[in-house]
Amino acid sequence: MIITNNPLVAEKYENVLWTDGSVEKTLIIVRDFIHQGYELVSHPLAASLRMLFSPYRSIIINNKKEKLNFEHAQIIEDSIIKYKKHMDLRKTDEKTRDDYKKIDLLLLEAALSEEKGKWY
Amino acid sequence: MKLEIGRIYIKDIQLGNETSVKNGVLTVDKTSLIAKLKEDDRIKDVKIDIAKPGDKVRIIPVKDVIEPRVKISGGNNGFPGVTAKPAQCGEGRTHVLYGAAIVTVGDIVGFQEGVIDMWGEGAKWTPFSQTYNLTVDINVVDGIDPHTHEETVRLAGLRAAEFVGQAGKDITPDEVLTYEMGSIFEESNKYPNLPKVLYAEMMITQGLLHDTYIYGVNAQTILPALLHANEELDNAVISGNCVAACDKITTYQHQNNSTILDLYAQHGKEINFMGCIMVPEHTTLAGKMRASDYTRKLVKMLGADAVVVSEEGYGNPDSDLLIICKKCEKEGVKTVLITDECAGRDGMSQPLADTAAEAVAVVSGGNVSHVVTLPPADKVIGNAEAIAVLAGGWEGALLEDGSLQCELNAVIGSTSEIGYHNVTCRLY
Repeated sequence: MIITNNPLVAEKYENVLWTDGSVEKTLIIVRDFIHQGYELVSHPLAASLRMLFSPYRSIIINNKKEKLNFEHAQIIEDSIIKYKKHMDLRKTDEKTRDDYKKIDLLLLEAALSEEKGKWY
Repeated sequence: MKLEIGRIYIKDIQLGNETSVKNGVLTVDKTSLIAKLKEDDRIKDVKIDIAKPGDKVRIIPVKDVIEPRVKISGGNNGFPGVTAKPAQCGEGRTHVLYGAAIVTVGDIVGFQEGVIDMWGEGAKWTPFSQTYNLTVDINVVDGIDPHTHEETVRLAGLRAAEFVGQAGKDITPDEVLTYEMGSIFEESNKYPNLPKVLYAEMMITQGLLHDTYIYGVNAQTILPALLHANEELDNAVISGNCVAACDKITTYQHQNNSTILDLYAQHGKEINFMGCIMVPEHTTLAGKMRASDYTRKLVKMLGADAVVVSEEGYGNPDSDLLIICKKCEKEGVKTVLITDECAGRDGMSQPLADTAAEAVAVVSGGNVSHVVTLPPADKVIGNAEAIAVLAGGWEGALLEDGSLQCELNAVIGSTSEIGYHNVTCRLY
């Protein structure tokens, strides 16, 4: 399942949980799923500082497991702390939000392509 | 493998009717260069300009910086696998126009940053304020998709570097540096008592504007790969990443990777430097596990005692850095990590959100959150509107006198995680 606040992703893919909230809200939704036993497929954060200022973020999680994955819980908690640390001082880049939508979609698709042909 | 790098010192740059180096002055034939680049019919318009150290010039948004070079013997000219047929990098002789750089400027997306100020306060923070820069500003034809746009600008920069590099073909270099290393067995026999050290270089490999290429192969698709230390110093690795300005590794920095050069300098003295493992930074957790397991395996297979690990980017790559550290330390292999830090504007906050008890030797490339004030430029090369994007981060960033305040993360190469930059650490 993809958890996203990016409308382009919601339009293009099925199995999407879309929120009209912020990136922080998206991360918190992901955290709640991880706490229920779901696992992260893609990392909650991007690889560059500039993408941290994006108004959009899409994260892939997979099926619910019997036990909580503590490592993944740690990753999402750390990611929320890291995100808030930056965004308490910065605003998201609203002027170029359409570009962020596209790049978030393309980076998500790069992650999906890494996962093709796998069954676990 | 033996590589000779012949440095031709460049002391000035100008545009003219020929491409040549005379008495250290690099002249570039602008008309021929534009014609050459426009052979790519995806390019609508090319603007060539120059920016010298001390000029009150701002270049923004910078996509990549590339060192112009020419191959004299061995391998192929240019960037094998990209601008030339595949060939072995790291052998023979390469002439470098030392002190010159090609700077590509290209607005691929609106939020790109990456500033080079050639003078004043801004110049202090980027090594590319000290190079004689030929700027190549690329406009592509309408209707092109973002991947093709990025590829077009990337190739134009590399081809411009190849074109300009030809000026060094028949010039006697001012200095010749030799990099020579035998097989791992030969070097280990030579230095049986020195600790065996590998360098694991992490690269952003996550999709558009976040890619790295080795011999033209998109490194997102590879398992960690072992390279001879000479290969990256001789054009094997190029950057396709242009979002994280402060800690992206430009192609120039790959060509002059400070970590490789410093390890080479200690080879046979304090350490036995065995080579480089190029580690992709995946966006998926499975990819991170695979790449870190494979890195650990290579480190163990090669019998290394220690590994230096450098990161590229910020955010999810912090996880890879610490996973590699934990896995190697658990196997008894000492690790030294190189990263940069987000320690708040005053530098006093906890620098990394991810932590590991095993990370006991960590080198900082600087604080990306440090605020700098950049006065207005007389001339802007590139897109002046990008300055507004740069300043858009918080209230009051654009001051009344036209100066702008930005964090170091907007300045190209300011907090390099391979050590090719100006910032140092101070204990207090």
